[in-house]
Amino acid sequence: MRRPAIVAVALVAVVLVTAWWLTSPQRMAADSLPAHTPDVAAGEQVFWVGGCASCHASPVDGRRAKGEDKLRLGGGLELDTPFGVFRVPNISPHADGIGGWSTLDFVNAMQAGVSPNGRHYYPSFPYTSYAKMRVEDVIDLKAFIDTLPAVEGLVADHSLGFPWSVRRGIGLWKRRYLDTGFVMADMDSEQLERGRELVEGAGHCGECHTPRDGFGGLLADQWLVGAPNPDGAGRVPNITPGGKAVGDWSVSDIAYYLESGFTPDFDTVGGSMVAVQENLAKLPKSDLDSIAAYLKSLPAR
Amino acid sequence: MSGPTLRTLFLAATLAFSAHAIADDDPRIERQDLMKSVREAAKPVGQMMRGDMDFDADTLMSSLETWLDVSTKFGGLFPPGSESGEETEAAPAIWTDREGFDKALAEWQTATQAAIDAKPASLEEARPIVGPVFNTCKGCHDNYRIEEE
Ligand code: HEC
Ligand code: HEC
Ligand code: HEC
Repeated sequence: MRRPAIVAVALVAVVLVTAWWLTSPQRMAADSLPAHTPDVAAGEQVFWVGGCASCHASPVDGRRAKGEDKLRLGGGLELDTPFGVFRVPNISPHADGIGGWSTLDFVNAMQAGVSPNGRHYYPSFPYTSYAKMRVEDVIDLKAFIDTLPAVEGLVADHSLGFPWSVRRGIGLWKRRYLDTGFVMADMDSEQLERGRELVEGAGHCGECHTPRDGFGGLLADQWLVGAPNPDGAGRVPNITPGGKAVGDWSVSDIAYYLESGFTPDFDTVGGSMVAVQENLAKLPKSDLDSIAAYLKSLPAR
Repeated sequence: MSGPTLRTLFLAATLAFSAHAIADDDPRIERQDLMKSVREAAKPVGQMMRGDMDFDADTLMSSLETWLDVSTKFGGLFPPGSESGEETEAAPAIWTDREGFDKALAEWQTATQAAIDAKPASLEEARPIVGPVFNTCKGCHDNYRIEEE
């Protein structure tokens, strides 16, 4: 009775090949990049909206970097998650960081979640949001990061439990959750479209304000309704017009909060939103108005 | 009224007063009340900065004076034993890093004093002077206050 054995072996082979194919990292092709002359000043704006410094700036004396230190992207911050500890890598323009990377390498990391040597990144690097950015913005961003100080030092690897330690498995996750389309499909004005691009793309607001399913994917039908706080007690608030606080805020109240860090009743911004607000304060007022208008246009939940 | 009765009355009044004072003197409550007054003083200033209210030099000055006054009292309201309870949002860092907390207080005081000395007479003059004061509020809260929901 050889036949069933052969069939079984063939079946296993098919499953393995399919799994291999399903999980294989998909890189973008060089010719998919648009012809675009990088604009460093525009790249700096993208850098602040993207909050790269909040994760990649090397902590100073065990504390979050402030001021000029936010531009030293040597990594080293530890992100404590249910899956294990992620150690944020060096992305400064040093050989220990992204020095020597091509623009295509960078775009693939930011928008396909794939490293230059073809490995998947964990979504603790919020590329599922960055995938929604305009490629031109990503190219500008790289040009800006290339002007920052080169910081020496490789960061130790993550400490994750099985099966999370197997990077290949992220391929399946990406098939389900990596989507370049916007959550809110129809926007009726240029201002709202700009707001959407900032909130859903580079600003990655959903990464904190939207709840996740059991695999860590964002629940699009509960977009920005608030979520458990990833770094400790309490909740990240609902920022749709149904939110307890934001519900009563005007567009101008929200914009002023993002600009100054003060709520309409003059309490101050707190927790992990402090770093986000400090970054957003560097944007032109028109962008903050666009973000506020977009939030106000969401269905109240 | 005879002397002893008066004295008794006086004594009773003193006792009643100090009992009341003890309740009111809870440093956890007192420091929260002070911060609430700081918030009330901040509201009109914020509205001026946003352009929702006409600039008024007297209102601004009175808010700055309130902050300066609180900044001299606030640091004395964190005795041992007042780390928790009464819904305090004071962070443990106040006790473990007193030096840093005092520095944050001093920064607030310096920025406020500088704003008072500058006597801003218009919104354009006030903006660059008030901004740094507001930043010291956030700077201290970021390290020395935990917000409970
Ligand atoms: C929430 C934290 C967080 C934010 C915000 C963040 N990153 Fe990261 N980033 C990470 C983590 C964690 C990794 C490591 C992922 C891995 O090892 O799979 C990473 C990896 C990277 C890598 C790959 C580095 C390498 O050595 O392969 C690049 C490039 C990168 N990030 C760029 C950025 C840029 C640019 C921004 C801002 C637009 C940004 N990141 C924002 C957490 C973050
Ligand atoms: C790193 C996590 C994180 C990210 C990213 C983030 N937020 Fe927040 N956000 C918070 C937390 C935590 C709070 C609560 C702050 C507090 O307690 O004072 C908050 C509060 C807010 C509030 C005030 C709501 C309230 O009820 O007080 C607004 C508005 C807001 N965020 C908008 C945004 C926008 C817009 C973005 C994207 C540009 C964003 N947030 C990105 C964590 C985050
Ligand atoms: C040197 C540190 C420091 C500075 C500066 C500071 N605060 Fe505070 N603030 C605190 C602490 C600590 C608490 C929590 C007190 C408690 O709950 O015991 C607090 C609480 C508050 C509260 C909540 C009060 C309540 O209980 O409802 C508000 C509102 C507030 N601060 C506003 C401000 C404003 C506005 C400024 C600037 C004009 C400011 N603070 C400057 C340390 C500071």
